[in-house]
Amino acid sequence: MHRLHRAFFAQMETDPRGEQQMGSQQGKWPKWKKPGLALSGFLLFILALGLMKEGAGGLAPLLRGRLEITNTADSMGFGWLMAYLILSGSPVAAAAVALLSADALSPLHAFTMITGSRLGASFIVLLVGFIYALRGHERWTALTAGVLSLLLTGSIQLLTLPMGLLILSRGWLNRLSLPALEKLAAGVNRGLEPLIGPLAAFLPGWVLFVVGVGLVTLSFRLFDQALPQVHLEKTNFGQVPRLVYRPEVMFLMGLVITLATMSVSISVGILVPLSARGYMRRENIIPYILGANISTLADTLVAAALLGDPRATTVVVTHMACAAIVSLPLVLLAYRPYERAVSDTLAWITSRHRNFALFLGVIFVVPVVLILL
Amino acid sequence: MKILLCTNGSPYTARALDLGARVARRAASSVDVLVVAERDREKEARQMAEATAADLEATGVPVALHQRTGRMGEEVVRQAQATPYDLVVIGSRGRRGVVRLLLGSVALHVTGHAPASVLVIKGRARDLKRFLIGSSAGPVSEHTIQFASRLARALRASVTLLHVMSQLPLAEDAVPDDLGASAEELIQRGSREGVHLSRMLDLLAAEEVVARAVVRHGLVLNEIIAEAREGRYDLLVTGAHVTPGLDARLVDDLSADILLAANRPVLMVRPECVN
Repeated sequence: MHRLHRAFFAQMETDPRGEQQMGSQQGKWPKWKKPGLALSGFLLFILALGLMKEGAGGLAPLLRGRLEITNTADSMGFGWLMAYLILSGSPVAAAAVALLSADALSPLHAFTMITGSRLGASFIVLLVGFIYALRGHERWTALTAGVLSLLLTGSIQLLTLPMGLLILSRGWLNRLSLPALEKLAAGVNRGLEPLIGPLAAFLPGWVLFVVGVGLVTLSFRLFDQALPQVHLEKTNFGQVPRLVYRPEVMFLMGLVITLATMSVSISVGILVPLSARGYMRRENIIPYILGANISTLADTLVAAALLGDPRATTVVVTHMACAAIVSLPLVLLAYRPYERAVSDTLAWITSRHRNFALFLGVIFVVPVVLILL
Repeated sequence: MKILLCTNGSPYTARALDLGARVARRAASSVDVLVVAERDREKEARQMAEATAADLEATGVPVALHQRTGRMGEEVVRQAQATPYDLVVIGSRGRRGVVRLLLGSVALHVTGHAPASVLVIKGRARDLKRFLIGSSAGPVSEHTIQFASRLARALRASVTLLHVMSQLPLAEDAVPDDLGASAEELIQRGSREGVHLSRMLDLLAAEEVVARAVVRHGLVLNEIIAEAREGRYDLLVTGAHVTPGLDARLVDDLSADILLAANRPVLMVRPECVN
């Protein structure tokens, strides 16, 4: 979740000191710095997936036994709470496909765990908001973007969930297979064998898995730092903080930029420097996040492909396809009522500290209830 | 101010002629009344136009009658392209949903293509005494306010200047105070919106128009419609969507959205029409 946190709060682009620091670093670390970080991140990502896959087998008894992850509600709550715990959604989604690949989870369980990971992905923003609210601080209203992000993700996932479960249980996308990627994955796994094999020989599975989750989180950080700086100021989107853009335009923009950055937080962060005051019109941000919610699983898709398991690829593609099937008609046909409903809910939640605290209570209780079901 | 009034004999254009004539009596230097002969209503249309013309001439406003045959929206645009008008007054059928999708909107066609400001008469308006002007805090809204203030002065109408802040804070260093502030607070703080509102109020005061500023927080379209309803305004004023180039395809046409959502007259001001 540090990724989302970064987007809303740690805007290096708007901080002159940050720019200076980056500039001096770029002086010391010439051209190869960003490609080097990207390559390191990618290699670490591959290694982390290998470790998670190797360790996941040993987690199956723990998941089904002690944690009692036996139905789809359990796995959704588990993914949700895991995202809270490690303050990020992407590593949890990657863990879900690794667990599926090691037969520790079924495709339906992996699907709902990914759904949970998406819902838990705004936690840090809300946590900070809650602390502000407890202190009676006026600045807590500055965190409404986090609530908005959760409302949008929640409303889409609510519709995506039954659709995805239906598609997966009927096996409509079961024939989805990417032979070229599977061959590549087999090669990668063979390459990792000399490294992971000895570790697996004397470390318990759960340790390998935890180390894998840690490394995948670290790899995402490296990717974030490796991303080239995008400046939209001189493009036709320079007026995004002020003008109201067409929802379909912002939707497409969110989808494409998130596909390129593989992170909702980074792609939202790209918009922030456009406004000197750090404001953004909600008419623009709502469709933008809707688009971003589809392509935010691009990194999980890469993880599934690298694991070389067609079931994992099917689960992630189903997730992305369902999000697109739900979001597209919403944006094209029923956007205004949806926008109004989201905005009214946001206004209600942020109108009083009590409502905000109630909202936080609900998002804490729901994943726990799901696990207890 | 040169005004074009239009009718095709339909009841909705009769309302537009009636209210348009009231505006013309106070604000027009000359008036053209256009009869668009559509289907079998030509006779009614001519009678309406002649009655309006006679009424206006009796109050000393010079009037010329014009007739065209064809579709209402297209003929109004052709007339407006042939003769420079400051204001075109048309009625709106008030088509909604699928019907509008299939048959289109005359008002949207005219506001989108006529090289003049357009007053679209809809709802049950009887008089235009209370204006609500949507202000976007940009240079376009200055033109809108200049035009609307001239009309408001002529009609002795009061004006409420509405600015909607739909922004959310995204960055840590964003100051959320402005996002919940009233118009008075924004003006007092000298924020970007406050400075703009203050300047616009000065413009209106210079035209001797009674005016006040209101700031609402939420979605732009919803807040404008809500303010119009709650404040029982007679007229909604907005700048026409004239974004050039690629931006026209990227930026939302909020003025069209307002026109479609409003249940009262809407004045759409084209920036280039301000003299």
